[in-house]
Amino acid sequence: MPDRIEKPPPRRLAKSLLLTLPVLLWALLMFSGTLMLPGRASKAAALLALSFMVTLFLLMMRTRETHRWRRVFFVALGFLFPIGFVWELIAVRGSMSIPIEQMLAGNTPFCFLAIPMMIVPAALTRTIIFPGTILPTPGNPHSIAVMIGLWLAATIVLGKGWCSFGCFFGGLEEGFSTLARKARIRNISAKWRLVPWAVLAAIVLLSAATFEPVYCTWLCPFKTVTEYVEVRSLETAVQAGIFLSLFAGLVVALPVLTKKRTQCAFFCPFGAFQSLFNKTNIFDIRIDRGKCADCVSCQRSCPIQALDKASVDAGKTLLSCMRCGACVDACHKQAAFWHIKGTAAGAAPERARLMYLYAAWGFATMFGGSIIAGSLEKLLGFLG
Amino acid sequence: MSGERQREEANQHDDMSIKWRDALGRLDKGSDQVVPYAAEAVLLGLSSGPACLTSCGPVVVPWLAAEGRGFAGTAVRLTVFLCGRLAGYLLFAALLWTLGLALPMPPRPRALIFGAVHVALAAALAWYALARRRGAGLQPAALVTLQAKPPGPRSTPALLGLLTGLNLCPPFLAAAVRAAESPSLPSALLFFFVFFFGTLVWFPPLILLGALRRRTAVAQVARITLVILAAYYAYLGLISLGGVLLSA
Repeated sequence: MPDRIEKPPPRRLAKSLLLTLPVLLWALLMFSGTLMLPGRASKAAALLALSFMVTLFLLMMRTRETHRWRRVFFVALGFLFPIGFVWELIAVRGSMSIPIEQMLAGNTPFCFLAIPMMIVPAALTRTIIFPGTILPTPGNPHSIAVMIGLWLAATIVLGKGWCSFGCFFGGLEEGFSTLARKARIRNISAKWRLVPWAVLAAIVLLSAATFEPVYCTWLCPFKTVTEYVEVRSLETAVQAGIFLSLFAGLVVALPVLTKKRTQCAFFCPFGAFQSLFNKTNIFDIRIDRGKCADCVSCQRSCPIQALDKASVDAGKTLLSCMRCGACVDACHKQAAFWHIKGTAAGAAPERARLMYLYAAWGFATMFGGSIIAGSLEKLLGFLG
Repeated sequence: MSGERQREEANQHDDMSIKWRDALGRLDKGSDQVVPYAAEAVLLGLSSGPACLTSCGPVVVPWLAAEGRGFAGTAVRLTVFLCGRLAGYLLFAALLWTLGLALPMPPRPRALIFGAVHVALAAALAWYALARRRGAGLQPAALVTLQAKPPGPRSTPALLGLLTGLNLCPPFLAAAVRAAESPSLPSALLFFFVFFFGTLVWFPPLILLGALRRRTAVAQVARITLVILAAYYAYLGLISLGGVLLSA
């Protein structure tokens, strides 16, 4: 059992507040539009979301822990996003399912998961294979250009940190993975980590061949809690069955049994695609072999198995690391630390963490925070 | 002297041209416009080549990556694959004309043919992926132990090429429609043959997959990809065949 002697003490409250000030100002700027709206529900929702985001950042500063507080935000985002999204769908269409006529009219809300599938057809034929609209329209405010712009900005800054601070689906399985006290399934073969790359290759190739976003049509588990093609035929029934099975297995059952984000770790092709941007991102996590006690706490704590013995021996995480900070928080010897590429390893890890967190939390407040506020507004409006 | 020789050569050339024209004219009795006909096929192949590439991509890309050969080995396998694809084209054209089917093909035989092709393709992909997983391919186990890297079955690229050649991709349909308008089987075969050569220029970049040689993780990912694709093609095939059986 690893000792806890070397755990850093909490930061002083005054300094923590000072470090939180930029995030508070940013959050005020982000929510100012909603705070000015006339409805009480929207004001209250914006205020709640603002307080939520700022408080969590303050706790990150005070306790020096990242993953614990990020997870609270991420689970809230994961569970509140479908509520707001489905609410909107039912208000507009009266149903969670999208009729084929609406798809043909380009009224399908765009999701970032479709991005890898669009690249080859767009490059070869200058065709966008998603049935949405490039710019926002009254019938479809979730346009392709807006989502790609947001994703690109976040990806440049955060790399695969998108999967810890931006993805509005991952919080669901992260939430389910915290339910059980102990993992029932522990020994998961490292080969399963290759599956997301295979799914990515398959969907990119098939999407180029069929000119349709194959993952969205056939494999997305999150169709279960967002929208799916209206079941009118055997094919759409099969598709709905696949969505439900994958959701029940990968997002609910396996996270409970393994305490891991199994869909992200062993299936999500977008996660594999996003891993490539860890190469271009300036932030990473390193392991000081001199301090490491080989307690494997970091490997156990990683939600997506992005650490193994070989990578720890090499002093770094695997390419699939999503920069959630779980390993850094779990390391009792402070051997795992945040790092900025090009700087001396271990020179100023807390400074690297702060720089990363300002970028990540700034994006999380703007993107996830506004989603949380939107869903809260609908819930508060419903409750009167 | 040289002038006479030149005249002789010119006469010989004219004779050859006449013979060649006659031969081609016999191929297509209703038309003496062989050159425009062939040019149309080449241009169709060139212009729709990217679609051909993306249509064959789900099979040929992961398969070549799973093979894990160098540039030369990849080029050889790609060539065999393309020969198989050509055979698929010609076989389809022959089948179309022998059975007297005109495009648009009636739904029932179309579903039967392409359902069966998809199932066969799925079986070939799954078998290949799983056989390579065992590291043996079709080779007897005793031989495999003598080799550091067991070779895959030699028939695989040709078989995969044949089955993808029989696929109903958009450029293939375009060529089939044009070929179906030809009055004879040989001219239809000629159209497909020339069309195939037009598409060829888009395939050499796949030889670059040879750069992935000796990357075990890439080969493993490619094999898993083949299993996923096998499931996809199996579904397509079984749905087609199931529809035929239910409507019978």
